[in-house]
Amino acid sequence: MPAFLRQNLALLVICVIGVAAAIGTYELRGPAAFRHALESAGGMLLFILPAIIGGLLLAGALKQLVPPGALARWMGADAGIRGLAIATLAGMATPGGPMAAFPLVLVLAQAGADRGALVAFIFAWSLNGFQRLLVYEVPLLGADFTLMRFLVTLPLPLLAGWLGRMIPIRWTPPQ
Amino acid sequence: MSATQGLLWLMALIAFGFCLRRGGGMAIRAAKDGGHSLLRVLPLFAAALPMSAFLAELVPADIAEGWLGHESGLTGILIASLAGGFIPGGPFVSFPLVLTFTKAGAGVPQMAALVTGWAIYGFHRVIAWELPVLGPRFVLLRMLAGLALPVLTGLGVELLLPFFPNALLHR
Repeated sequence: MPAFLRQNLALLVICVIGVAAAIGTYELRGPAAFRHALESAGGMLLFILPAIIGGLLLAGALKQLVPPGALARWMGADAGIRGLAIATLAGMATPGGPMAAFPLVLVLAQAGADRGALVAFIFAWSLNGFQRLLVYEVPLLGADFTLMRFLVTLPLPLLAGWLGRMIPIRWTPPQ
Repeated sequence: MSATQGLLWLMALIAFGFCLRRGGGMAIRAAKDGGHSLLRVLPLFAAALPMSAFLAELVPADIAEGWLGHESGLTGILIASLAGGFIPGGPFVSFPLVLTFTKAGAGVPQMAALVTGWAIYGFHRVIAWELPVLGPRFVLLRMLAGLALPVLTGLGVELLLPFFPNALLHR
């Protein structure tokens, strides 16, 4: 897949669905509903914009303060539940989207992190990455829902990491 | 500005202060990095928020109630988990969609399963990033290890819901 398409796939899909939904709204629900949708989208954007800017500044600063090399050392090849716990914490602390996270996983794997730790890391990042919780989930879905979902999913990366060690599939990181 | 937004800004300023103490160069890099991310994220938001708002107008008021409503129970949780995997894009898509479905009558455990399905399965992310970077064997391993997590999340949220009666209300 070409790099440009890969990086903008999400935007492309959103735009296609969005334009289709906009036409559908105008045709089926009328101009008033069309205007109402635009207004509610604009209001939502203004509402979460301060959180987005603050969150991205936080992520930028954390990236400078905690370089990926330090993460790799913490996770190491430390087996046992402790390695999984460290991987879970590291995953939650990792900011950014998949374009940052998956290459980092590869670096960690090549540095000797075990596959259970890698599974725990990915799940902790995708389920409960702090940046995503603070920038997107709390402003959009509210503190109650976010906290409840966070509490329920907090131990799941440990469980999946442990399972990941048990599953008999051989894997070595691509060089 | 809400309390959580204030907290977020406080943390950002503290972290930025640490960068400043390590030298002006680091602070500038941190601010630049944040600015670049903002430029990347803003177009996504500008497209995703209208998309979900239009979808909210189109989706009939009670369509989610039967399939994904609170009464749908485990079946609804299973449907939501799988549907979550097909949501493309980042949190700027998935969370507005949750709002859309909630307005259309979806239940809270089902929506927690949807978010988890999106986070765990995320098929578009697997195809675009995980498969080329880590290879098919790792994808299979990770999928098997995480297969049950969205359903577990839905069931867990069902248990905790009495303690969080305001979750997804008035949103």
